[in-house]
Amino acid sequence: MKKGLKLSDVLVTIVIAVAFGIIYILWGSIYYFAKPLGLHVDQLIYGMWFIAGPVAFLILRKPGVALLAEIAAASGEFFLGSPWGLTVLLYGVVQGLFAELVFMVFRYKKFNMSVAVLAAIASCLGSVLMDFAYGEIGALSTWNLSLFMIARFIGSVFFAGLTAYYLVKVLETTGVTNLVRPVSSKDYAELDQK
Amino acid sequence: MTVTNAETWLYKINPSLKLFVLMVLCIVALFIDDLNYMINVTMGVLLIFLCFTGHSIKRIILLSIPFSFIFISTSLAMIFFGKGETLWFEWGLISITEESFMRGLLVGFRALLFAALGLTFSLTTRPVNLFYSLMQQVKLKPKYAYSFMAALRLIPIMMQEFQTIRNAMKVRGFERGTGVKSIYFKIKAYSIPLLSGSIRRAHRIAVAMEAKRFTDTRDRTYYYDFGFSKYDQGFILYFIILLLAGFFLSIQFPLVSI
Repeated sequence: MKKGLKLSDVLVTIVIAVAFGIIYILWGSIYYFAKPLGLHVDQLIYGMWFIAGPVAFLILRKPGVALLAEIAAASGEFFLGSPWGLTVLLYGVVQGLFAELVFMVFRYKKFNMSVAVLAAIASCLGSVLMDFAYGEIGALSTWNLSLFMIARFIGSVFFAGLTAYYLVKVLETTGVTNLVRPVSSKDYAELDQK
Repeated sequence: MTVTNAETWLYKINPSLKLFVLMVLCIVALFIDDLNYMINVTMGVLLIFLCFTGHSIKRIILLSIPFSFIFISTSLAMIFFGKGETLWFEWGLISITEESFMRGLLVGFRALLFAALGLTFSLTTRPVNLFYSLMQQVKLKPKYAYSFMAALRLIPIMMQEFQTIRNAMKVRGFERGTGVKSIYFKIKAYSIPLLSGSIRRAHRIAVAMEAKRFTDTRDRTYYYDFGFSKYDQGFILYFIILLLAGFFLSIQFPLVSI
């Protein structure tokens, strides 16, 4: 087996990511509606912006896919004219990198719900780190900052963790995942003569 | 997207270089903590965005609406809930201090700067040009560049499929339902066919490309060729002057005293 992603893997990842890029753009307008409500209600839906990485990884199950997907989704969002501009690219890289690290720690061998949730939390952590530099959130008063963190944390677990996991689980029933996943030893065993 | 507009000098800059310069500027902006300096730099970038993108003033104003939204919402959260010593106003949970007000403005201007930079780039650069240039100047692997270009081409098809599913749902009367259960059903009914269809299509395209001997070698020939020109030097020079002049002006003629 040759290492690295094949053309097919890259293309499938990027197409999935661009599809999520469109959702990211639409999500921006929902975010505006939630923002004036104050008290960080908007942070509850922030987690949607981390979903591309876990979904792409759970579909393709290959190294590097989560990072590529999150960068591609961010670039898609950027090209379609996100009002956040270049911010999304910087955030996308950091969020993708953090999710990828989680999958790497599990040696790209775990595809269950807990690893998806862990990746979501890692992406959340990455975005918070970026916010300290970009949004100066460290200067918020303590109660407000904790509210902010808790809201974003809950949102990430729900959207990027649980939703991503169930989405892929339903997608598996359509059979499309067999097309793009690497063959496992189980597949070889089925080919053996009984 | 096909929109008619005049091609200004911003279009003639090498796309990779443009992206790189704007990225560097964004990272520099992350470390600017002085409000006066930030305002000066933002003004310089807004000047480019408003005057040199070659789009009609009407479109520019339309695109600026979400901008102002982000500016207001980003700064307000910090102004209302930020930490600070010198109290100006207090009402319930809200406490406005001098420090939080200044920091709120700083964060707002930073958001404005990032948005203006990003939109200036995406308004004056065609994605195809960017990916050709990335392959030639940054040595991006062709498989990534061509995958991106193919994926961007698939967006209209995805939109069309979305419309088809929507019409089918309307005919069957699924659109009328309300409540959490119906939202859950709708999300599933839209996302799963769209995703699986896209994955199948992407896989087919990849197989077809490989069948036509698409290879990942870098010494290939290109339909578009990109190099550097005097516009690139002018572009870099503009931002260097902006950063230096903005710094001196912020010391000599501060707009707000901190």
